[in-house]
Formats: sequence, structure tokens, C-alpha cells
Amino acid sequence: MRTRLLKLAGVAAVIVPALVFSKPTEVAIADQAPTASATAPAATPALKTPWGEPDLQGIWTDESDTPLQRPAKYANQEFFTEAQRAELDKERASLLGRDRRVERGTELDVAGAYNAVFLSLKHTGARTSLIVDPPDGRIPAKTPEAQKIAAADQQFRLALLQATETCKTKSVACNGGKYDPKTSPLRAELPPRYNTARMNRHDGPEDGALPDRCLTGGLPEFGTAYGGSFRRIVQTPGGISMFYDVGQGQGWQRNIIMNGSPHLPANIRQWFGDSRGHWEGNTLVIDVTNFSRKTDFQGSRENLHLVERWTRTGPTSLEYVVTIEDPTVWTRPWTVKQEFTKQSDEQNKTYYEPRCIEGNYALPALLLGARMEDLAFAEGRGPDPATKDNATDFVGVEENPLQ
Amino acid sequence: MRHRFSGSMITVTIATAAVCAIISVSVTRSSGQAVRAARVDGKPNFSGIWQANNEANWDLQAHAALPAAITQPGIYPYEYARVPAAPVLALGAAGAVPGSLGVVQGDGQIPYKPEALLIKKDNAEHWIDRDPELKCYLPGIPRAMYMPYPFEITQSTNKIHIAYEFSNTARTIHMDKVEGPPDDMWMGHSVGHWDGETLVVNVTNFNDRSWFDRAGNFHSDALRLVERFTQMSSDIIRYEVTIEDPKVFTRPWRIAMPLYRRVEPNMQLLDFRCNEFVEEFMYGGLRKQQLVKHWEGETLAIDITRKVPPGDRLYQWYGK
Repeated sequence: MRTRLLKLAGVAAVIVPALVFSKPTEVAIADQAPTASATAPAATPALKTPWGEPDLQGIWTDESDTPLQRPAKYANQEFFTEAQRAELDKERASLLGRDRRVERGTELDVAGAYNAVFLSLKHTGARTSLIVDPPDGRIPAKTPEAQKIAAADQQFRLALLQATETCKTKSVACNGGKYDPKTSPLRAELPPRYNTARMNRHDGPEDGALPDRCLTGGLPEFGTAYGGSFRRIVQTPGGISMFYDVGQGQGWQRNIIMNGSPHLPANIRQWFGDSRGHWEGNTLVIDVTNFSRKTDFQGSRENLHLVERWTRTGPTSLEYVVTIEDPTVWTRPWTVKQEFTKQSDEQNKTYYEPRCIEGNYALPALLLGARMEDLAFAEGRGPDPATKDNATDFVGVEENPLQ
Repeated sequence: MRHRFSGSMITVTIATAAVCAIISVSVTRSSGQAVRAARVDGKPNFSGIWQANNEANWDLQAHAALPAAITQPGIYPYEYARVPAAPVLALGAAGAVPGSLGVVQGDGQIPYKPEALLIKKDNAEHWIDRDPELKCYLPGIPRAMYMPYPFEITQSTNKIHIAYEFSNTARTIHMDKVEGPPDDMWMGHSVGHWDGETLVVNVTNFNDRSWFDRAGNFHSDALRLVERFTQMSSDIIRYEVTIEDPKVFTRPWRIAMPLYRRVEPNMQLLDFRCNEFVEEFMYGGLRKQQLVKHWEGETLAIDITRKVPPGDRLYQWYGK
């Protein structure tokens, strides 16, 4: 899926792009520093809580950039060489601050409200992909049924773009579709299933991407190009709480149920799933199910099943391994691994106040703008809204060799 | 049809019917729950799921029960004989406000400055338009502590997490040294310490947008709180807050109430992601094809019609 961002100039709203679900890493972080030196490095680190459980507490983030899927160029390589990492860092650093724009005055140019300034890049990580299983570092093939659903969804989105300049100029956003000056009849229809992503129509809030509605999904959380991905873990005897600070003001909370009880009844579906945990040695294992039908992770919705494994590996390091399973979507489970680094408690890096809806002027402005365009067209003052692209954006993140 | 409610068309700005019933607690022996440590790091352990069981979210002050949170003149010209206003009329008794002896300590009065008291009264009259709760905004402190939703405390040695079911809200109480936040906050910045067996939390850095209750009680960005959590028994906390805001109040004042442990063995916080629930309330007028047919610009005109459903025995009996 392409990067899609807000295109309303002057948007101060806490909107995060739709790629929350689909893009790995690339977090905007300034002056990240591990806290190794802040806590008596000479002493033996206390990796257990005072009550004897493994200590996972603190603020954690992945300090390097690793693509979710292994790029074709590194097909047979699990790790980058040092030389490759240095070269990639150099290449990617040159992306910063260029304020790259497409052809002036085009719709895509006007849509570029976000530019490289929003994309502070981190150093290239050691691995060539976050995915460690399957061994090729790629998301497994989708089932035929899931392919059908994805194709229908894509056809719907392309149909809404067919009469626009985006398709006329054969922009990458129109890949798979073609220009047709006629308005698609699909413009008056519902999408094939509950919409979660940006589309070129704004008839009501449900036409917006979930993040545009302040309804970012929760898990699994790998970060995005436009906002941090922090989690603060606090433990108490027999209890674990995780506060996520992700995207731009779209954080959420998890309280892991540790009493051995079964998952919620199937009729209770949750945006952030239902997390049941237990200890296996020093590893916290969390089983997550009961996701809402309105969430979407790479095409997986209510049948998404995660098994997370959290292991403290050192004074400032935490390993996170998550196995992702949905037999209705993928032909096999797949596994992602991240290394988190402890952040300064004192600097309170995690600033979790998920006040997205309170500042979301963008969604009503987008809807109001669409109504104004409808009115102008009806009165013969403006173009047919179906010929305008109000969904595609260009920010230049596509040029990042790790994307 | 003789027996039906037909409200005259009353226009309110962006109105809805929002009702939150006080959740009744079915008390069960807590033997099925995980064994809970009585103390963490030598301090009383407040970890667990808690909930206030009072009417403070309706109005912090003592008040008689009301037919609805917003009312209109009835047939008598008396304040005490008003009837529910159209936006909440269709809810029947579910829209009523339960009475309360109040949680404000001392004389029970909130010491507003005269000009601030006018704002409070104006807020109350425009509850539906102005209460941040109805828009699913973050509730602020102390309101999050006594809304009719549970919250979970996770108490460690240097940090205490509180996750609130309402609107996915949270706060961290820092028991150690921490830099302040870069901006004002809905939920404030909480720094705690122990005073013997009592957890004392200083909360600062508020914005001026949250309310104390549905009665329009408000504060400015000069709000400062001192919260005190004291164990009354293993399943009850005495929660006390000193409220100071020199821009709005003439002196500091206090509220106090018990917080009860949700002792059901299978108790857990569930999603209450209400920003989705209020999309129609907030943005319905901007739809291409409106679901509610009486949006006029940003004004929602509510025309309440209630047909007596077939099978309603009482109405059938009356109709004979």
C-alpha cells in the first residue's frame, strides 16, 4: 500500500497516516540515547523485580530501521554487512531535508503537506527484514479467498480514482487501474467490506482511513515513518501494564490478564484485542485474540491471532518476537523479531496522552470541503468531484531503499 | 394512536442522548482471582480494578434527583416542575439524574469567584454542547476517577500506571524524578510520594478544557490537585482530592469518596472506544447523505416520535 497522508494544508491535527498497519519502522526520533550510562553500569543489573519476576519495566523502542519484508536485492542475506549498513545510512541520510516535490501545481504537489521534515530516519538495523520466519523474510502468500478480497478492495479504490489526473498521468497510485473519464458507478456504492484505509471519496466519516478517524489499530505495533513507537511497561506482582505512545497522539493501553483464565467470549471484539499472558522461564508470552472486525493488519481482521514473546536480554535490551497467524488470510504463520532499547525514564520520553479526537479538525474539514465541492459542482461552479483526487499523497518516503 | 409521545420540534445545537447508567456491582467472592500481594516494596498495594460507585459524575455537589440532565418548562412556571427536554426525552427514566448528598467536603459549596459562577451556570444550561465527555474527549483528573467506568491501577516501585476504560485514557504517576511534559495536558502531569501509608499525588500542567462533572463545574489551566489514596480495607480506597485554581476559585476545596475494588473473579477492562460512538454526534451534519434528516448546517433539529410498540401490555390495557 502506498503512503497516504493528509492533504489539508495547515492541518495541526494529530492524524497519523494510513500506513500504520502496513509500514514498518522508520520512526521520527530525535537524539535517542540508551540509558545504559544513567543506571550504574558497573553494578550487576537487576533484571528481576523486587518480587522476583523477570523485569521488563521501562520505556522501550526499536532504535534502528529495518524493513518489514526483505528487499529483493538482499534475497539470500539475513544480515546486512557493515559496509552495506554504512552505505544505506549514507543513502538514506541524503533523503532528509530535500523537500522533494513533484511537478509544481499538480494535485500531487498540492497534496504534499508532509515532506521529508517529518521523516527523521534512524540508523539501518542489522537485519535485512523484521520477518525472521519464513526464512525468505517475506510475508507468506495469501490464501485464494484472501487474494480475492484484496483484489476486490483494490478494484474499488482504483475505480474511485479512474477519472482523476492521478490515473490520467499514470501515477503509481493508479497502478493496476486505468484512466477512464467516466465516473465509476462504484462511487455510489459501499466498499466490498468495512473500510479501514484512505479512499478517494469523503461522503461520511466511514470513508476515512481509521487513523484519520483517530481509530488507529493496535497490534502488532512496528512503528511508522511519521511518529514514534514507544511502549512503557510497568509491572506489579501478578500484573503487567503497557502504555503505547505511537503515531501522533494515537497511543493506547494494554493490561495483560495474567491469571490463567481463557480468552473473552467470541462475541466481544476489541480494537486492541484480548491479551492473556503467562511466564515461560524469563519470557513473557502473550496470546492475543478477539480483534474487532473493524481492525485490519495486512488484510487480517477478526481472525488475527498473535503470540508475543517478550524477553529481557540485558540491562538496556529487550527482545520482542511475535508470531502472526490467520489461516483465513495467510497460507502459514509468520514471525517478526525486534530488538528494543531502553529509553531514559527521567526524560519521560513516552508522552502518552492519546488526545487525537480532541484536535482532529482535519476530518470535519475534509468532509466539509467535500460538501463544498459537491455544492459547487451542482451549481455549475466547479468540476465534478469524481475527477479530483483527494486521497493520494506524495511525500518521498517511497524512495527510501528500506521501504 | 392516542398513546404516544410526540415531542414538539426543539432545536438544539449538536444534540444527542448520552446516558451512562451507574454500573451495578454484583459482588462475588474474589477467591477466583490471582493472589494479590498486600504490599509492593513495603507500601500498600493499590493494584487492581477499581470504580467509584456514586453520582459525582452527574454533579459533585448535593442535589435532588432530576427528570433529566437538561429540562424544559412544564405546564407550571416553577423550576421544580420542569420536564425532560426533547434531546433526552426518548430515554425515559434512563435519562434521569440520580440524587446525591454530594462529595464536596466541608460546607458542600464550591467556592467559585462570582464571574466564574456565572460561567458554571451557563455551562450547565449548555451541557450537551459543552461537556467534553459527550465528545469523548479525555476526561481529565479527578473526573476520570469517578466516571461510571472501571479503571486499573498497576503499582510498581517507581511508576504507577492507571488505565481508564473510558475513552482509552491513561496516566502515569511518577514516583521518581522525571522531567515535566512539554505541554499542558488533559490528564495533567502526576508526581507521587508516600506520606506514611498514604499515596500522595500532585497533579499539575492541566489545560483548561476538562470538566469536573456533567453539571458544568469547570476549572482553568491554573488547576493544581493534591490527591490522597488511603487504604480503608483491602477492597476500598479512601480517595481525597484538594482542588486549587486561583483563577476560578476563591480558596482550595476538597472532595472525598470511596473507590471500590471490582471483585468479580473475571473482571477486566474492556474497550470503550467512544470516539467512534460520537462520530455521528460530531460529524453527522457533514455527510453527503445524512442519516439524521434534520441537520441544518451545524444545527441538529430533533423531532422525537415514539410509537408504542405492539405487544406493550400496559398500553394495550389503557387503550381498551
